[in-house]
Amino acid sequence: MREVKDLTWKSLEKLKDPVKAFSNRCPLYYERYAGKEDEFGYSLETFAKWEPLFRFLYEEYFQVEIRGIENIPGEGRAILVGNHSGLLPLDGAMISMAMCNLHQNPRRIRYLSTDWFFHLPGLSNWVKETGQVRATKDNAQKLLAVEELVGIYPEGIRGVGKPFAERYRVLDFHPGFVQLAIATQSPLIPVATVGGDEIFPEFVNLHKVARFLQMPFFPVTLGFPWLPAPLMFMPLPVRWMINIHKPINLGYPAEKANDRKLVMKLTREVQYQIQRDLNKLLRERRSTLTGWDEAELDGELPKP
Amino acid sequence: MSQFLSNYRDFLKQATKSDKYHGFDVRALVRVEPMLSFLFHDWWRVEFNGLEKLPKEGPALIVGNSGSFLPWPATMLLYALMSSRVNPRRLHIVADMDWIKDERLFASFLELGFVPFSSANMKRLFAKGELVAIFPEGAAGLARPFSARERLIEFDWVKLLPAVEEGVPIFPIATLGCDEAIPVLTNLDAIAKMLNLPSFPITPFFPWLPFPFNLASLPTKWNMSILKPLSYEKAEDRDLIEETSMKQSQFAEGEIQAELNRLLRQRWRAK
Repeated sequence: MREVKDLTWKSLEKLKDPVKAFSNRCPLYYERYAGKEDEFGYSLETFAKWEPLFRFLYEEYFQVEIRGIENIPGEGRAILVGNHSGLLPLDGAMISMAMCNLHQNPRRIRYLSTDWFFHLPGLSNWVKETGQVRATKDNAQKLLAVEELVGIYPEGIRGVGKPFAERYRVLDFHPGFVQLAIATQSPLIPVATVGGDEIFPEFVNLHKVARFLQMPFFPVTLGFPWLPAPLMFMPLPVRWMINIHKPINLGYPAEKANDRKLVMKLTREVQYQIQRDLNKLLRERRSTLTGWDEAELDGELPKP
Repeated sequence: MSQFLSNYRDFLKQATKSDKYHGFDVRALVRVEPMLSFLFHDWWRVEFNGLEKLPKEGPALIVGNSGSFLPWPATMLLYALMSSRVNPRRLHIVADMDWIKDERLFASFLELGFVPFSSANMKRLFAKGELVAIFPEGAAGLARPFSARERLIEFDWVKLLPAVEEGVPIFPIATLGCDEAIPVLTNLDAIAKMLNLPSFPITPFFPWLPFPFNLASLPTKWNMSILKPLSYEKAEDRDLIEETSMKQSQFAEGEIQAELNRLLRQRWRAK
Protein backbone atom coordinates (compact mmCIF):
# COMPACT_ATOMS: atom_id res chain seq x y z
CA MET A 1 0.00 0.00 0.00
CA ARG A 2 3.01 2.20 0.62
CA GLU A 3 3.72 2.21 -3.08
CA VAL A 4 0.34 3.64 -4.00
CA LYS A 5 0.82 6.59 -1.64
CA ASP A 6 4.18 7.43 -3.20
CA LEU A 7 2.89 7.22 -6.74
CA THR A 8 3.28 10.76 -8.08
CA TRP A 9 4.67 12.23 -11.27
CA LYS A 10 7.97 12.58 -9.50
CA SER A 11 8.09 8.89 -8.66
CA LEU A 12 7.40 8.05 -12.29
CA GLU A 13 10.56 9.86 -13.26
CA LYS A 14 12.45 6.96 -11.76
CA LEU A 15 11.50 4.97 -14.83
CA LYS A 16 13.50 7.34 -17.02
CA ASP A 17 16.75 6.62 -15.29
CA PRO A 18 16.50 3.30 -13.49
CA VAL A 19 20.21 3.14 -12.75
CA LYS A 20 20.19 6.45 -10.90
CA ALA A 21 17.07 5.46 -8.96
CA PHE A 22 18.70 2.18 -8.07
CA SER A 23 21.92 3.85 -6.96
CA ASN A 24 19.88 6.10 -4.67
CA ARG A 25 18.03 3.24 -3.10
CA CYS A 26 20.82 0.66 -2.83
CA PRO A 27 23.99 2.76 -2.64
CA LEU A 28 26.09 0.02 -1.08
CA TYR A 29 25.21 -2.48 -3.76
CA TYR A 30 25.73 0.10 -6.48
CA GLU A 31 29.15 1.17 -5.23
CA ARG A 32 30.23 -2.40 -4.90
CA TYR A 33 29.62 -3.35 -8.51
CA ALA A 34 29.52 -0.05 -10.46
CA GLY A 35 32.04 0.23 -13.24
CA LYS A 36 33.57 -3.19 -12.61
CA GLU A 37 34.37 -5.46 -15.52
CA ASP A 38 32.87 -8.91 -15.22
CA GLU A 39 34.15 -11.96 -17.03
CA PHE A 40 30.73 -13.56 -17.26
CA GLY A 41 28.85 -10.56 -18.57
CA TYR A 42 27.14 -9.17 -15.49
CA SER A 43 25.66 -5.76 -16.17
CA LEU A 44 24.51 -3.46 -13.41
CA GLU A 45 22.32 -1.51 -15.86
CA THR A 46 20.22 -4.55 -16.74
CA PHE A 47 19.99 -5.53 -13.11
CA ALA A 48 18.87 -2.04 -12.10
CA LYS A 49 16.29 -2.03 -14.88
CA TRP A 50 14.71 -5.30 -13.83
CA GLU A 51 15.13 -5.02 -10.10
CA PRO A 52 11.88 -3.05 -9.50
CA LEU A 53 9.81 -5.82 -11.09
CA PHE A 54 11.34 -8.55 -8.97
CA ARG A 55 11.22 -6.34 -5.89
CA PHE A 56 7.51 -5.87 -6.52
CA LEU A 57 7.13 -9.65 -6.66
CA TYR A 58 9.20 -10.01 -3.49
CA GLU A 59 7.55 -7.35 -1.39
CA GLU A 60 4.00 -7.07 -2.61
CA TYR A 61 3.02 -10.08 -4.63
CA PHE A 62 4.60 -13.05 -2.86
CA GLN A 63 5.24 -11.13 0.38
CA VAL A 64 8.32 -13.21 0.99
CA GLU A 65 9.31 -13.80 4.58
CA ILE A 66 12.96 -14.50 5.02
CA ARG A 67 14.68 -16.01 8.00
CA GLY A 68 18.37 -16.08 8.68
CA ILE A 69 19.62 -13.69 5.99
CA GLU A 70 22.44 -12.77 8.38
CA ASN A 71 23.81 -16.30 7.89
CA ILE A 72 25.10 -15.27 4.48
CA PRO A 73 28.51 -13.65 4.86
CA GLY A 74 28.99 -10.15 3.48
CA GLU A 75 32.42 -10.95 2.19
CA GLY A 76 34.19 -14.03 0.98
CA ARG A 77 33.26 -17.12 -0.97
CA ALA A 78 30.27 -19.26 -0.14
CA ILE A 79 27.93 -21.68 -1.89
CA LEU A 80 24.16 -21.42 -1.53
CA VAL A 81 22.35 -24.74 -1.94
CA GLY A 82 18.60 -24.94 -2.21
CA ASN A 83 15.54 -26.80 -3.35
CA HIS A 84 14.52 -25.73 -6.82
CA SER A 85 10.95 -24.87 -7.62
CA GLY A 86 8.43 -23.23 -9.78
CA LEU A 87 8.72 -23.67 -13.61
CA LEU A 88 10.08 -20.13 -13.96
CA PRO A 89 12.92 -20.31 -11.45
CA LEU A 90 11.86 -17.31 -9.40
CA ASP A 91 13.25 -18.75 -6.19
CA GLY A 92 16.75 -17.68 -7.07
CA ALA A 93 15.59 -14.19 -7.98
CA MET A 94 13.82 -13.82 -4.66
CA ILE A 95 16.98 -14.63 -2.71
CA SER A 96 18.89 -12.18 -4.90
CA MET A 97 16.34 -9.51 -4.02
CA ALA A 98 16.76 -10.21 -0.32
CA MET A 99 20.54 -10.04 -0.67
CA CYS A 100 20.27 -6.74 -2.53
CA ASN A 101 17.72 -5.01 -0.31
CA LEU A 102 17.82 -6.55 3.15
CA HIS A 103 21.39 -7.61 3.76
CA GLN A 104 23.86 -5.42 5.64
CA ASN A 105 26.51 -5.90 3.00
CA PRO A 106 24.43 -6.28 -0.15
CA ARG A 107 25.99 -8.52 -2.72
CA ARG A 108 25.05 -10.38 -5.85
CA ILE A 109 24.51 -14.12 -6.14
CA ARG A 110 25.94 -15.91 -9.16
CA TYR A 111 23.64 -18.80 -9.99
CA LEU A 112 24.95 -21.67 -12.00
CA SER A 113 22.24 -22.32 -14.54
CA THR A 114 21.50 -24.85 -17.18
CA ASP A 115 22.80 -24.62 -20.75
CA TRP A 116 19.32 -24.36 -22.15
CA PHE A 117 18.95 -20.68 -21.19
CA PHE A 118 22.16 -19.85 -23.02
CA HIS A 119 20.87 -21.32 -26.28
CA LEU A 120 17.83 -19.09 -26.40
CA PRO A 121 18.45 -16.10 -28.67
CA GLY A 122 16.50 -13.48 -26.73
CA LEU A 123 17.07 -14.75 -23.25
CA SER A 124 20.73 -15.69 -23.18
CA ASN A 125 22.06 -12.15 -22.82
CA TRP A 126 19.49 -11.20 -20.24
CA VAL A 127 20.33 -14.28 -18.18
CA LYS A 128 24.02 -13.45 -18.34
CA GLU A 129 23.54 -9.80 -17.52
CA THR A 130 21.47 -10.47 -14.42
CA GLY A 131 24.27 -12.57 -13.02
CA GLN A 132 23.70 -16.17 -14.07
CA VAL A 133 26.63 -18.26 -15.23
CA ARG A 134 26.68 -21.35 -17.35
CA ALA A 135 27.02 -24.33 -15.03
CA THR A 136 30.45 -25.82 -15.51
CA LYS A 137 33.05 -26.84 -13.00
CA ASP A 138 35.56 -24.33 -14.36
CA ASN A 139 33.15 -21.42 -14.15
CA ALA A 140 32.23 -22.28 -10.58
CA GLN A 141 35.85 -22.52 -9.54
CA LYS A 142 36.68 -19.20 -11.22
CA LEU A 143 33.80 -17.50 -9.42
CA LEU A 144 34.80 -18.86 -6.04
CA ALA A 145 38.42 -17.90 -6.66
CA VAL A 146 37.35 -14.25 -6.88
CA GLU A 147 35.36 -14.63 -3.65
CA GLU A 148 31.88 -14.57 -5.18
CA LEU A 149 28.67 -15.95 -3.71
CA VAL A 150 27.67 -18.89 -5.88
CA GLY A 151 24.15 -20.29 -5.93
CA ILE A 152 23.58 -23.90 -6.90
CA TYR A 153 20.34 -25.85 -7.21
CA PRO A 154 21.61 -29.41 -7.23
CA GLU A 155 18.28 -30.86 -8.35
CA GLY A 156 18.92 -29.23 -11.69
CA ILE A 157 16.27 -28.54 -14.26
CA ARG A 158 14.30 -31.62 -13.17
CA GLY A 159 13.61 -29.88 -9.88
CA VAL A 160 11.99 -26.91 -11.59
CA GLY A 161 9.51 -29.04 -13.48
CA LYS A 162 8.06 -30.94 -10.57
CA PRO A 163 4.38 -31.69 -11.04
CA PHE A 164 2.03 -30.20 -8.47
CA ALA A 165 1.54 -33.52 -6.72
CA GLU A 166 5.29 -33.70 -6.07
CA ARG A 167 5.61 -30.22 -4.62
CA TYR A 168 8.25 -29.85 -1.92
CA ARG A 169 9.48 -33.39 -2.47
CA VAL A 170 13.15 -32.91 -3.09
CA LEU A 171 14.76 -34.94 -5.86
CA ASP A 172 18.09 -36.59 -5.11
CA PHE A 173 20.83 -33.96 -5.16
CA HIS A 174 23.70 -34.10 -7.61
CA PRO A 175 26.90 -34.37 -5.56
CA GLY A 176 28.81 -31.78 -7.63
CA PHE A 177 28.26 -28.97 -5.14
CA VAL A 178 29.89 -30.83 -2.26
CA GLN A 179 32.84 -31.71 -4.47
CA LEU A 180 33.16 -28.04 -5.35
CA ALA A 181 32.89 -26.95 -1.73
CA ILE A 182 35.64 -29.35 -0.63
CA ALA A 183 37.91 -28.56 -3.56
CA THR A 184 37.65 -24.80 -3.07
CA GLN A 185 37.34 -24.86 0.73
CA SER A 186 34.16 -22.80 0.75
CA PRO A 187 31.26 -23.02 3.22
CA LEU A 188 27.88 -24.44 2.19
CA ILE A 189 24.72 -22.55 3.07
CA PRO A 190 21.52 -24.63 2.73
CA VAL A 191 18.39 -22.68 1.81
CA ALA A 192 14.84 -24.02 2.07
CA THR A 193 12.20 -22.23 0.00
CA VAL A 194 8.49 -22.78 0.52
CA GLY A 195 6.06 -21.22 -1.93
CA GLY A 196 7.85 -21.64 -5.21
CA ASP A 197 6.29 -24.97 -6.04
CA GLU A 198 2.78 -23.60 -5.84
CA ILE A 199 3.02 -20.45 -7.96
CA PHE A 200 2.55 -22.44 -11.18
CA PRO A 201 0.62 -25.64 -10.45
CA GLU A 202 1.81 -28.02 -13.14
CA PHE A 203 -0.84 -30.57 -13.98
CA VAL A 204 0.88 -32.48 -16.70
CA ASN A 205 4.17 -32.41 -18.53
CA LEU A 206 3.92 -33.05 -22.25
CA HIS A 207 7.21 -34.82 -22.93
CA LYS A 208 6.68 -35.19 -26.64
CA VAL A 209 5.91 -31.51 -27.23
CA ALA A 210 8.89 -30.62 -25.03
CA ARG A 211 11.19 -32.80 -27.11
CA PHE A 212 9.85 -31.35 -30.33
CA LEU A 213 10.41 -27.79 -29.14
CA GLN A 214 13.72 -28.72 -27.49
CA MET A 215 12.54 -27.48 -24.13
CA PRO A 216 13.46 -29.17 -20.87
CA PHE A 217 9.77 -29.74 -20.19
CA PHE A 218 6.44 -28.51 -21.52
CA PRO A 219 4.09 -27.93 -18.59
CA VAL A 220 0.37 -27.44 -18.69
CA THR A 221 -0.62 -25.09 -15.88
CA LEU A 222 -3.64 -22.99 -14.99
CA GLY A 223 -2.60 -20.42 -17.57
CA PHE A 224 0.33 -21.66 -19.53
CA PRO A 225 -0.44 -22.55 -23.05
CA TRP A 226 -4.00 -21.22 -22.88
CA LEU A 227 -3.89 -17.53 -22.09
CA PRO A 228 -2.32 -14.78 -24.24
CA ALA A 229 1.33 -13.99 -23.79
CA PRO A 230 1.94 -12.05 -20.59
CA LEU A 231 -0.98 -13.63 -18.73
CA MET A 232 0.25 -17.16 -19.20
CA PHE A 233 3.26 -16.37 -17.01
CA MET A 234 1.11 -14.96 -14.25
CA PRO A 235 1.99 -16.70 -10.98
CA LEU A 236 -0.47 -17.34 -8.18
CA PRO A 237 -0.08 -14.99 -5.20
CA VAL A 238 1.32 -17.57 -2.81
CA ARG A 239 3.03 -16.52 0.41
CA TRP A 240 6.70 -17.49 0.38
CA MET A 241 9.08 -18.38 3.12
CA ILE A 242 12.81 -18.62 2.60
CA ASN A 243 14.79 -20.11 5.44
CA ILE A 244 18.55 -19.71 5.23
CA HIS A 245 20.44 -22.10 7.44
CA LYS A 246 23.72 -21.64 9.25
CA PRO A 247 26.78 -22.07 7.03
CA ILE A 248 28.36 -25.53 7.09
CA ASN A 249 32.14 -25.57 7.08
CA LEU A 250 32.95 -29.04 5.84
CA GLY A 251 36.53 -28.93 7.08
CA TYR A 252 37.93 -31.64 4.85
CA PRO A 253 41.24 -31.20 3.02
CA ALA A 254 40.95 -30.40 -0.70
CA GLU A 255 42.18 -33.88 -1.74
CA LYS A 256 39.03 -35.40 -0.23
CA ALA A 257 36.99 -33.95 -3.13
CA ASN A 258 37.53 -37.20 -5.01
CA ASP A 259 36.39 -39.44 -2.18
CA ARG A 260 33.11 -40.52 -3.75
CA LYS A 261 31.67 -42.15 -0.66
CA LEU A 262 32.32 -39.15 1.56
CA VAL A 263 30.99 -36.70 -1.03
CA MET A 264 27.84 -38.75 -1.48
CA LYS A 265 27.24 -38.92 2.26
CA LEU A 266 27.66 -35.16 2.72
CA THR A 267 25.35 -34.53 -0.24
CA ARG A 268 22.66 -36.65 1.32
CA GLU A 269 23.07 -34.91 4.66
CA VAL A 270 22.51 -31.48 3.10
CA GLN A 271 19.57 -32.81 1.07
CA TYR A 272 17.93 -34.33 4.12
CA GLN A 273 18.48 -31.14 6.10
CA ILE A 274 16.63 -29.12 3.47
CA GLN A 275 13.83 -31.68 3.13
CA ARG A 276 13.39 -31.80 6.89
CA ASP A 277 13.14 -28.05 7.06
CA LEU A 278 10.59 -28.00 4.21
CA ASN A 279 8.46 -30.53 6.08
CA LYS A 280 8.66 -28.41 9.22
CA LEU A 281 7.77 -25.16 7.46
CA LEU A 282 4.84 -26.84 5.68
CA ARG A 283 3.61 -28.18 9.01
CA GLU A 284 3.70 -24.71 10.54
CA ARG A 285 2.01 -23.03 7.61
CA ARG A 286 -1.58 -21.91 8.08
CA SER A 287 -2.55 -21.92 4.42
CA THR A 288 -1.05 -21.44 0.99
CA LEU A 289 -2.29 -17.92 0.41
CA THR A 290 -1.97 -16.46 3.89
CA GLY A 291 1.24 -18.16 4.94
CA TRP A 292 2.49 -18.34 8.49
CA ASP A 293 1.16 -16.96 11.73
CA GLU A 294 2.77 -13.62 12.51
CA ALA A 295 2.89 -14.49 16.19
CA GLU A 296 5.07 -17.52 15.57
CA LEU A 297 7.48 -15.54 13.46
CA ASP A 298 7.88 -12.54 15.75
CA GLY A 299 11.43 -11.78 16.56
CA GLU A 300 12.76 -14.05 13.87
CA LEU A 301 12.15 -11.73 10.96
CA PRO A 302 14.85 -9.22 10.11
CA LYS A 303 13.61 -5.65 10.03
CA PRO A 304 13.93 -4.29 6.51
CA MET B 1 -3.15 -74.29 15.41
CA SER B 2 -1.72 -77.29 13.59
CA GLN B 3 -1.95 -75.42 10.32
CA PHE B 4 -0.06 -72.58 11.94
CA LEU B 5 2.57 -74.99 13.28
CA SER B 6 3.35 -76.34 9.83
CA ASN B 7 3.20 -72.98 8.08
CA TYR B 8 5.35 -71.13 10.55
CA ARG B 9 7.77 -73.89 11.60
CA ASP B 10 10.92 -71.80 11.23
CA PHE B 11 9.35 -68.80 12.89
CA LEU B 12 8.21 -70.85 15.86
CA LYS B 13 11.65 -72.35 16.30
CA GLN B 14 13.02 -68.86 16.54
CA ALA B 15 10.17 -67.46 18.62
CA THR B 16 10.31 -70.12 21.33
CA LYS B 17 13.89 -69.19 22.06
CA SER B 18 13.17 -65.48 22.11
CA ASP B 19 12.65 -63.12 25.00
CA LYS B 20 9.24 -63.40 26.72
CA TYR B 21 9.84 -61.11 29.65
CA HIS B 22 6.99 -58.75 28.76
CA GLY B 23 4.45 -61.48 28.16
CA PHE B 24 4.72 -62.36 24.48
CA ASP B 25 2.38 -65.19 23.64
CA VAL B 26 2.47 -67.10 20.36
CA ARG B 27 -1.18 -68.03 20.77
CA ALA B 28 -2.12 -64.38 20.38
CA LEU B 29 -0.32 -64.34 17.06
CA VAL B 30 -2.09 -67.55 16.02
CA ARG B 31 -5.39 -65.83 16.72
CA VAL B 32 -4.70 -62.69 14.69
CA GLU B 33 -2.67 -64.37 11.94
CA PRO B 34 -5.63 -64.81 9.55
CA MET B 35 -6.49 -61.15 9.84
CA LEU B 36 -2.89 -60.03 9.38
CA SER B 37 -2.55 -62.32 6.40
CA PHE B 38 -5.71 -60.93 4.84
CA LEU B 39 -4.57 -57.34 5.39
CA PHE B 40 -1.07 -58.03 4.12
CA HIS B 41 -1.89 -60.02 1.01
CA ASP B 42 -5.40 -59.03 0.01
CA TRP B 43 -6.37 -55.72 1.49
CA TRP B 44 -3.19 -53.66 1.19
CA ARG B 45 -1.25 -55.98 -1.17
CA VAL B 46 1.99 -55.04 0.57
CA GLU B 47 5.03 -55.10 -1.65
CA PHE B 48 7.92 -55.80 0.66
CA ASN B 49 11.53 -55.18 -0.35
CA GLY B 50 14.86 -55.61 1.32
CA LEU B 51 14.01 -58.25 3.90
CA GLU B 52 17.25 -60.02 3.05
CA LYS B 53 19.21 -57.04 4.35
CA LEU B 54 18.31 -57.83 7.94
CA PRO B 55 20.77 -60.06 9.82
CA LYS B 56 19.63 -63.62 10.53
CA GLU B 57 21.13 -63.57 13.99
CA GLY B 58 21.97 -60.95 16.55
CA PRO B 59 20.54 -57.60 17.55
CA ALA B 60 19.28 -55.00 15.10
CA LEU B 61 17.04 -51.96 15.22
CA ILE B 62 14.46 -51.07 12.57
CA VAL B 63 13.39 -47.43 12.41
CA GLY B 64 10.31 -46.51 10.45
CA ASN B 65 7.57 -44.01 9.75
CA SER B 66 4.31 -44.69 11.52
CA GLY B 67 1.09 -44.63 9.60
CA SER B 68 -1.91 -42.58 10.53
CA PHE B 69 -4.45 -43.49 13.18
CA LEU B 70 -3.43 -47.06 14.04
CA PRO B 71 0.06 -48.61 14.18
CA TRP B 72 -0.57 -50.79 11.14
CA PRO B 73 2.93 -50.48 9.62
CA ALA B 74 4.35 -52.05 12.77
CA THR B 75 2.00 -55.01 12.55
CA MET B 76 2.59 -55.43 8.82
CA LEU B 77 6.33 -55.52 9.48
CA LEU B 78 5.70 -58.06 12.21
CA TYR B 79 3.72 -60.21 9.80
CA ALA B 80 6.28 -59.86 7.00
CA LEU B 81 9.03 -61.01 9.32
CA MET B 82 7.11 -63.93 10.73
CA SER B 83 5.88 -65.23 7.38
CA SER B 84 9.20 -64.79 5.61
CA ARG B 85 10.69 -67.96 4.14
CA VAL B 86 14.20 -66.54 4.00
CA ASN B 87 14.59 -64.85 7.31
CA PRO B 88 11.77 -65.53 9.79
CA ARG B 89 12.32 -63.56 12.96
CA ARG B 90 10.34 -62.39 15.91
CA LEU B 91 9.92 -58.64 16.18
CA HIS B 92 9.77 -56.57 19.34
CA ILE B 93 7.93 -53.33 18.69
CA VAL B 94 9.02 -50.68 21.15
CA ALA B 95 6.48 -47.89 21.65
CA ASP B 96 5.23 -45.38 24.19
CA MET B 97 2.32 -47.22 25.78
CA ASP B 98 1.83 -45.31 29.00
CA TRP B 99 -1.35 -43.74 27.75
CA ILE B 100 -3.13 -47.10 27.41
CA LYS B 101 -4.99 -47.28 30.69
CA ASP B 102 -7.07 -50.35 29.89
CA GLU B 103 -5.18 -53.35 31.20
CA ARG B 104 -6.74 -55.88 28.84
CA LEU B 105 -5.81 -53.79 25.84
CA PHE B 106 -2.32 -53.24 27.23
CA ALA B 107 -1.85 -56.96 27.83
CA SER B 108 -3.05 -57.90 24.37
CA PHE B 109 -0.52 -55.51 22.84
CA LEU B 110 2.23 -57.10 24.94
CA GLU B 111 1.12 -60.55 23.82
CA LEU B 112 1.61 -59.57 20.20
CA GLY B 113 5.15 -58.43 20.88
CA PHE B 114 4.87 -54.78 21.80
CA VAL B 115 7.26 -53.55 24.49
CA PRO B 116 6.93 -50.30 26.47
CA PHE B 117 9.69 -47.86 25.55
CA SER B 118 12.50 -47.49 28.00
CA SER B 119 16.23 -47.43 27.62
CA ALA B 120 16.63 -50.39 29.97
CA ASN B 121 14.09 -52.48 28.04
CA MET B 122 15.77 -51.81 24.73
CA LYS B 123 19.23 -52.52 26.03
CA ARG B 124 18.07 -55.81 27.54
CA LEU B 125 16.57 -56.84 24.21
CA PHE B 126 19.77 -55.94 22.37
CA ALA B 127 21.84 -57.89 24.89
CA LYS B 128 19.68 -60.92 24.14
CA GLY B 129 20.24 -60.45 20.42
CA GLU B 130 16.66 -59.55 19.53
CA LEU B 131 15.24 -57.66 16.59
CA VAL B 132 13.61 -54.41 17.69
CA ALA B 133 11.47 -51.96 15.73
CA ILE B 134 10.78 -48.40 16.74
CA PHE B 135 8.66 -45.63 15.24
CA PRO B 136 10.21 -42.42 16.55
CA GLU B 137 7.54 -40.06 15.29
CA GLY B 138 5.49 -41.28 18.21
CA ALA B 139 1.84 -40.46 18.73
CA ALA B 140 2.17 -37.32 16.57
CA GLY B 141 2.63 -39.61 13.58
CA LEU B 142 -0.69 -41.27 14.26
CA ALA B 143 -2.52 -37.95 13.99
CA ARG B 144 -0.74 -36.78 10.86
CA PRO B 145 -3.29 -34.87 8.76
CA PHE B 146 -4.08 -36.12 5.29
CA SER B 147 -2.69 -32.95 3.72
CA ALA B 148 0.71 -33.78 5.21
CA ARG B 149 0.62 -37.43 4.18
CA GLU B 150 3.96 -39.09 3.50
CA ARG B 151 5.75 -36.18 5.14
CA LEU B 152 7.69 -37.18 8.18
CA ILE B 153 7.40 -35.49 11.53
CA GLU B 154 10.76 -34.92 13.18
CA PHE B 155 12.20 -38.04 14.75
CA ASP B 156 12.79 -38.12 18.47
CA TRP B 157 16.52 -38.81 18.60
CA VAL B 158 16.38 -39.99 22.20
CA LYS B 159 14.67 -43.14 20.97
CA LEU B 160 17.75 -44.12 19.02
CA LEU B 161 20.06 -43.53 21.96
CA PRO B 162 20.04 -47.08 23.41
CA ALA B 163 20.89 -48.55 20.02
CA VAL B 164 23.72 -46.09 19.43
CA GLU B 165 25.11 -46.77 22.89
CA GLU B 166 25.23 -50.49 22.17
CA GLY B 167 26.49 -50.06 18.62
CA VAL B 168 23.57 -52.00 17.14
CA PRO B 169 23.01 -51.78 13.35
CA ILE B 170 20.09 -49.48 12.47
CA PHE B 171 17.90 -50.21 9.43
CA PRO B 172 15.48 -47.53 8.20
CA ILE B 173 12.22 -48.79 6.72
CA ALA B 174 9.97 -46.68 4.51
CA THR B 175 6.26 -47.48 4.33
CA LEU B 176 4.24 -45.92 1.54
CA GLY B 177 0.46 -46.06 1.55
CA CYS B 178 -0.19 -46.24 5.26
CA ASP B 179 -1.13 -42.56 5.47
CA GLU B 180 -3.68 -42.87 2.72
CA ALA B 181 -5.24 -46.03 4.13
CA ILE B 182 -6.90 -44.04 6.93
CA PRO B 183 -7.15 -40.35 6.00
CA VAL B 184 -7.00 -38.25 9.15
CA LEU B 185 -9.16 -35.20 8.56
CA THR B 186 -8.36 -33.32 11.73
CA ASN B 187 -7.13 -33.81 15.25
CA LEU B 188 -9.22 -32.63 18.19
CA ASP B 189 -6.76 -31.69 20.89
CA ALA B 190 -9.36 -30.58 23.43
CA ILE B 191 -11.12 -33.96 23.38
CA ALA B 192 -7.79 -35.76 23.47
CA LYS B 193 -6.84 -33.86 26.62
CA MET B 194 -10.19 -34.62 28.19
CA LEU B 195 -9.88 -38.35 27.54
CA ASN B 196 -6.16 -38.46 28.41
CA LEU B 197 -5.25 -39.70 24.96
CA PRO B 198 -2.19 -38.54 23.01
CA SER B 199 -4.40 -37.46 20.12
CA PHE B 200 -7.98 -37.73 18.94
CA PRO B 201 -7.99 -37.97 15.15
CA ILE B 202 -11.17 -37.69 13.13
CA THR B 203 -11.30 -39.96 10.10
CA PRO B 204 -14.13 -40.73 7.67
CA PHE B 205 -14.82 -43.76 9.87
CA PHE B 206 -13.60 -42.99 13.30
CA PRO B 207 -15.99 -41.69 15.79
CA TRP B 208 -18.97 -42.04 13.45
CA LEU B 209 -19.43 -45.73 12.75
CA PRO B 210 -20.23 -48.48 15.28
CA PHE B 211 -17.27 -50.23 16.85
CA PRO B 212 -15.49 -52.58 14.51
CA PHE B 213 -16.22 -50.40 11.51
CA ASN B 214 -14.74 -47.23 12.97
CA LEU B 215 -11.32 -48.85 12.76
CA ALA B 216 -11.82 -49.58 9.07
CA SER B 217 -9.32 -48.52 6.43
CA LEU B 218 -9.18 -48.08 2.69
CA PRO B 219 -7.56 -50.71 0.46
CA THR B 220 -4.58 -48.66 -0.69
CA LYS B 221 -1.53 -50.25 -2.23
CA TRP B 222 1.40 -50.42 0.18
CA ASN B 223 5.11 -50.47 -0.47
CA MET B 224 7.51 -51.26 2.31
CA SER B 225 11.21 -51.24 1.78
CA ILE B 226 14.04 -51.81 4.19
CA LEU B 227 16.99 -49.58 3.34
CA LYS B 228 20.65 -50.19 3.85
CA PRO B 229 21.89 -49.84 7.44
CA LEU B 230 23.23 -46.54 8.71
CA SER B 231 26.97 -46.49 9.06
CA TYR B 232 28.22 -45.01 12.32
CA GLU B 233 30.97 -45.74 14.77
CA LYS B 234 30.29 -46.88 18.27
CA ALA B 235 31.39 -44.14 20.65
CA GLU B 236 32.33 -44.26 24.33
CA ASP B 237 32.15 -40.60 25.26
CA ARG B 238 28.68 -39.49 26.41
CA ASP B 239 28.61 -36.26 24.39
CA LEU B 240 29.75 -38.10 21.33
CA ILE B 241 27.07 -40.75 21.78
CA GLU B 242 24.36 -38.11 21.97
CA GLU B 243 25.70 -36.29 18.97
CA THR B 244 25.87 -39.52 16.96
CA SER B 245 22.34 -40.42 17.97
CA MET B 246 21.03 -37.02 16.92
CA LYS B 247 22.85 -37.15 13.63
CA GLN B 248 21.79 -40.72 12.87
CA SER B 249 18.16 -40.08 13.67
CA GLN B 250 18.19 -37.10 11.31
CA PHE B 251 19.91 -39.16 8.65
CA ALA B 252 17.44 -42.02 9.08
CA GLU B 253 14.56 -39.59 8.77
CA GLY B 254 16.08 -38.17 5.60
CA GLU B 255 16.65 -41.63 4.13
CA ILE B 256 13.05 -42.64 4.78
CA GLN B 257 11.66 -39.39 3.38
CA ALA B 258 13.84 -39.65 0.27
CA GLU B 259 12.72 -43.25 -0.28
CA LEU B 260 9.07 -42.22 0.12
CA ASN B 261 9.62 -39.47 -2.44
CA ARG B 262 11.18 -41.96 -4.83
CA LEU B 263 8.39 -44.49 -4.37
CA LEU B 264 5.74 -41.79 -4.86
CA ARG B 265 7.40 -40.65 -8.08
CA GLN B 266 7.52 -44.22 -9.34
CA ARG B 267 3.86 -44.64 -8.53
CA TRP B 268 2.85 -41.47 -10.38
CA ARG B 269 5.09 -42.15 -13.34
CA ALA B 270 3.81 -45.71 -13.70
CA LYS B 271 0.26 -44.51 -14.25
